[in-house]
Amino acid sequence: MSVFARISHGFARELRFLARNPWDLALLTWLPLALCAIIAWQLSAGVIRDLPVALVDQERGALARDLAIRIEGAPGLRLAYHAQDMAEAERMARAGAVEAIVLIPREVTARALEGRGQITLFVNAAHSAASSTIQRELAGIIGAANGRVAIEQMAAVLPPGTVRAAPLAASSAIAFNAPASQEQQLVSLLHPALLHLLFMLAVVSAFGRELRDASVAEWRPDLAAMAGKAAPYVLAFMVWGALATAYLAGLRGWTLAGGPALLMTGYLAMFVAYTGVALLLVGATRCMSQSLSLTGLYAGASFAFAGAIFPVDQASSFAKVWAEILPFTHFARLIALDWVSGAEASVAAAPLLPLAIITLVTGVPGAWLFLRASRSPQDWGRR
Amino acid sequence: MWAAFRAVFAAIFADRAAALLLLGAPLLYAVLYPSAYAGEIVEDVPVVVVDMDRTAASRDLIIHAGATQQSRIVASLASPAEAERWLASDRASAAILIPEGYARAIAQGRSGQIVLTGSGAHLLRSSSALGGIGAALGSTAREAAFEQARAAGPGAPPAMQLVTRPLFNTREGYGAAVFPGVAFVIVHQSLLLGLALLAGTARERLGAPLSVTPAQFAGLGLAAAMIAMVQVCWFAGFVFWWQDYPRGAAPLWQVLAGGMLFVAATAALVLLLASLFRTRERPLQLGLGISLPLFFLSGLTWPAAATPAPVLWLARLFPTTPGLELMVGLNQMGGSLADYAAALFNLAVLAAIFGALAFWRWTSPRGLPALPVRAARDLSGSA
Repeated sequence: MSVFARISHGFARELRFLARNPWDLALLTWLPLALCAIIAWQLSAGVIRDLPVALVDQERGALARDLAIRIEGAPGLRLAYHAQDMAEAERMARAGAVEAIVLIPREVTARALEGRGQITLFVNAAHSAASSTIQRELAGIIGAANGRVAIEQMAAVLPPGTVRAAPLAASSAIAFNAPASQEQQLVSLLHPALLHLLFMLAVVSAFGRELRDASVAEWRPDLAAMAGKAAPYVLAFMVWGALATAYLAGLRGWTLAGGPALLMTGYLAMFVAYTGVALLLVGATRCMSQSLSLTGLYAGASFAFAGAIFPVDQASSFAKVWAEILPFTHFARLIALDWVSGAEASVAAAPLLPLAIITLVTGVPGAWLFLRASRSPQDWGRR
Repeated sequence: MWAAFRAVFAAIFADRAAALLLLGAPLLYAVLYPSAYAGEIVEDVPVVVVDMDRTAASRDLIIHAGATQQSRIVASLASPAEAERWLASDRASAAILIPEGYARAIAQGRSGQIVLTGSGAHLLRSSSALGGIGAALGSTAREAAFEQARAAGPGAPPAMQLVTRPLFNTREGYGAAVFPGVAFVIVHQSLLLGLALLAGTARERLGAPLSVTPAQFAGLGLAAAMIAMVQVCWFAGFVFWWQDYPRGAAPLWQVLAGGMLFVAATAALVLLLASLFRTRERPLQLGLGISLPLFFLSGLTWPAAATPAPVLWLARLFPTTPGLELMVGLNQMGGSLADYAAALFNLAVLAAIFGALAFWRWTSPRGLPALPVRAARDLSGSA
C-alpha cells in the first residue's frame, strides 16, 4: 500500500469505530459543544454589571444621599441594602448578599470642607473579578463627588484662587480592549483550554484502546496508519477551534486584531503537539487508564499555568518550567499577540517554534514506544 | 455493610489507577496547583515610558512610577507609536505617556495631563501596573501641588479620600482567591473519577449491572463519604495552613458540619454516576473535562450577578456550586452556617435526590439471581 492509502485506511478505520461507539464519538462531538457553550453563555455579559453593594450611613446627611444616587447610577454597581451598622453589613457580605460595603462615617461633610473627609470601602477580596470592578467604579464616584463639593461648597468658604483643578490628571485606557471586557480574555482562553484537554483525552483513548483491546494485532500500525488514526481527532477539534473563534470574533464582535490564518495555524500546532504528548504517555505506560489519569494531571491544570490571567513570572521555578512544557501556554501567548494586540506576524508567530519543539521531543519517542508496544503482545491488554 | 465498606478500600489498594486518583491526586494537586499561584500578587510588570516633555517634573514622575512594587520601567521610548509596538508585541504590559507642556501646565496652576495605557492582552497585569503607577502619581501630585503653591498660594486639598480595605482575603493574593475553591473541585473530581473507575471495572468483570443489598449500599456510601471527608480535612486542615491561605475563620464544628454536607451530596452524586458506567476507562474520558466548567459555574471568579439566570439554575445541580460557596464562606470569610442557609438547603436537596436515585440504581434487582453476593465479591476481588 502507498503511504496515502495507509493514511486513508487508518482514517476510515477510526471513523468506522467512532460510528459504532457513541460514547467515544461524544468526546469529539457534543461534549466539547456542551462545555464550550456553557462557558460562553455564562460569560456572555462580558463586562460585570450591577454588583450588589451595601451602604452604611452613619451621618444621615445630604452627602450620603448624593453617594447613594451615584452608586445606583454607576453601571457596575447596584445599591442593594442600606445597612443599619457595620455588623449587619458584614453579615451580608459573608452571606454573599453584597460584594462590598461603603462606610460613610459621622461628620464626614464637615471634615470634607476641611479636606479631611474619608469614605471607607470594604470589598470582598475573595471574589477577585468583582472586587476590582467595584474599586474602579467607586474611585470614579468619589472623584466626581469631590469635584462637586469643591465647586459648590469649598469655593464658598475658601479664599479665591485656592480651589483649582488637581495638579496632576491621568487618563487611563486599556489598549486593544477598550471596555476592559473580561469576556474576550476569558472566553478566548477557556475555549482552547477545554478543547485541548478533551482532544488529548480523545487521542490517548484512541491509541490506548488499541493496546488494551489487543486490536493492534489486526491493525499492525506504522507511522502512516498512526497519522491516519489521529487525523479525525485533529480535524474535529480544528472545526471546534474555528467555531469557537467564529463565535467570539464574529458573533460577539471581538475582532481578530491579527488574522484567523495564524490563529488556526496555532490551533493546529497545539493539537499536533498534544498528539505527541498523548503518544508518549500511551507508549510509556502501555495502559489506557494510567495514561488517562496522567493526562488529567498534565493537561488538567494548564489554565492555571498558562500565565494568561494570573502571571507565573513570580511563581517557583518548577511552575515556570512546568508552564513551558505545556503547549497551551504557548498557544495562550499566541492568542494575546495575534488576537488581542495584533502584533506583526513575525512576532506573533514566535510561539509556534516551542510548539514544534514539544511535538518533536514528545512525538518521536512516543511514536517509537507505541510502535514497539504494538509489536510485543505481552504489552497488550493492560488495565 | 462493613464487608462492602472494606471491599471498597481493598479494591482501591489493589488498583493502581484508582489509588492514583483517590489518594495520589489530592497529594499531587496540593503541591502542583498552588505552585502556579505562588507569586500571589502582581509584581514588576514591564512598563515603557514616552517622555515628550523632557523636564525636571516629568523625570521626577518617571522615577516615582519606576519605584513602585507593581511596575518596572523597561524602556524609555521616543514616540507613542513605538510604545504601541512594544505593547502589541507583548514586551510591555503598560505605557506612560507624558505629553509636551506637562511641567508648564503645573507651573501655571492647571492640571498636568498624562496618559496611562494598559495592554488588553493581560487585564490583571496591566490594571495592577496602572494601579501602582496611580499610587505613585499621588506622591508626585503632592510635590506638584507644592510647586504650584509657590506661585499661586496653597490650594485646597480634595474634599474626600477613598480608603479601600479588602475583606476576607486581606492580602489580596490571587492564589488565596482561587485555590480555596479549586480544592473542593479536586475533591469532587477525585471521588467521581476514582469510584466510577472502580464501579466500571467491577461491572465490566461481572458482565451485568451491579446490584447490592441496602446494607451493602450503605457500606459503599460510607466508604465514599469517608474518602471525601479525609480529603476535605486534608485541604481545609493542612494545605490551606501550609500554603498560608486565609483559613479557619469559622468554628471547627461548623466547618466539619458544612464539609460533611458537601461530602454527602458529592458522594450521592458520585454513586449515582458510578452506577451508569460499563467500562473501566469511560469515566476518565468523559469526566476529566468538566473540572474547569465546574469551577467557573461555582461563581467564585465570575460573579453570580453577571451570570444569566438559566446558567445559575444549571450550576445549582452540581454539589460543587453550593459546596464552594459554603466552604469558602466558612473557611475564608468567617461566616457561620446560618449565613449560608440557601447553600445548605441546596446541598441537602441534592444529597437527598441523588442519594435516592443512587439507592434505586444500585439496589434494584436486575438480572442474575445471586447478584448481591457476587457483586460484593467482585468489588473486593478486582485485585
